Amino acid sequence: MLLSAEFPPLSHITNWSAFAGDGQIWEINKIVLVYGFAVLFTILLFTLGNKKKLVPTGAQNLAEMAVEFVEDGIAVETMGKDGKKYVPFLMSLFFFIFFTNIFEVVPVIQMPAAARIAMPMTLALIAYVVYHGAGIRSHGFGYLKHALVPPGVPVALLPLVVLIEFVSKFLVQPFSHTVRLFANLLAGHILLVTFAVLTSALITPKWYAIFAPLPFAGVVFFTAFEVFVSFLQAYVFTLLTGVYINAAQSHEH
Amino acid sequence: MHRRLRLLLAVAVLVLAGSVGFARPASAEGEVDHAVEECIKSMEEANSIDVDCQESPNPLVPELNEVIWGLVGFAIVFGFLAKVGYPAMKKGMDARTERIQRDLDAAEAQRTEAAGILDEYKAQLADARQESARIIEEARQAADSVRSDLQARAESDIAELRARANADIESAKAQAIADLRGEVTALAIGAAEQVVGRNLDQDTNAALVEAYINSVGADR
Repeated sequence: MLLSAEFPPLSHITNWSAFAGDGQIWEINKIVLVYGFAVLFTILLFTLGNKKKLVPTGAQNLAEMAVEFVEDGIAVETMGKDGKKYVPFLMSLFFFIFFTNIFEVVPVIQMPAAARIAMPMTLALIAYVVYHGAGIRSHGFGYLKHALVPPGVPVALLPLVVLIEFVSKFLVQPFSHTVRLFANLLAGHILLVTFAVLTSALITPKWYAIFAPLPFAGVVFFTAFEVFVSFLQAYVFTLLTGVYINAAQSHEH
Repeated sequence: MHRRLRLLLAVAVLVLAGSVGFARPASAEGEVDHAVEECIKSMEEANSIDVDCQESPNPLVPELNEVIWGLVGFAIVFGFLAKVGYPAMKKGMDARTERIQRDLDAAEAQRTEAAGILDEYKAQLADARQESARIIEEARQAADSVRSDLQARAESDIAELRARANADIESAKAQAIADLRGEVTALAIGAAEQVVGRNLDQDTNAALVEAYINSVGADR
């Protein structure tokens, strides 16, 4: 029966067996493999794209578009001209996230690294260190006051506002930064698995096999949609990092 | 350098792609086996089935190996982009921007120069047209003058010729009259001599005069 189709438990669609070092701290599994591909593809893109043709084509075109996208569309957009020094960092975030995300739709692998919390959390913590570091470098010891005390707040409200700002900027911000990426990619992965399981369950000699194309259409549609999500979430994560850096080092409130 | 790097990258891609072949499905036997073994061991040690390992792993707790490899992967990407990828791309793009700007500036300078030359040519052309118009006008005036002179001279010549011809005619006429007068006189004398020399009858006289006149007419 269709209703008896077994949906695999969450751990079965996100936990992966070790290729090497099972149970060790250096254990290599599919997620690590995806990291490897992301590193490789980033290096490939910027190696093959580093041509000096006057009219760019192919990889050069793609790489230059990507550089301009991150530089003008994210760094300068969020931080102005001063943001250019953060371009390598923001580009690293964008490409590492995008290439690990895109493996959600790559056959055989079909697993985005961000559907496991380790990578989003690690990157969010790196971003956390960078934007608070930028704030400290910009304001020195006055950074805490800059971050926690908005101007014009009545003294009586200060304890409450400072507490809210502290929770918001120092605790919730990295958490939301992590969860936004993690939850979106995990949800996408679950959606694809759901439609794939449904399609698989409907491929049967029974009469209701005629409905199999419906969930299969869902697989096709959500695969395309997840390509978009992969890009969008990489963009959002990187853009927010730029916004946080700008907010931390800004001298305006 | 680039070729060797690309070759290395291609090998790395093949190695990683080959390793995909070893990837097992999500229902991951290795991990499950390992977890099952650990769990059975825990249950045996606790002599109970009520142990934590029977629960699914918490998806909100990061795996340490993934955190470590994530850091390593990100560090490689950042190191590459910060030291090699981005500066090289940026340098190439800036050089191209500079080159295009230089070409545009050169094109603009050439355009300005060409516009200057064109203005100069236009001015020269206008001068040439003005000069040619002046020359044509002068030629026309000269031609008019020559024509007037020629016409005046021709008219003068014609008048002179006509006057001379009239004078010649008058002279010839006077001469002819004088000659005729002499001739008539001679005739009259001759006729008179004939008449005087032979007194003949009227018919003879008339025949003589007639014959004389005919002989004179035949002589002429």
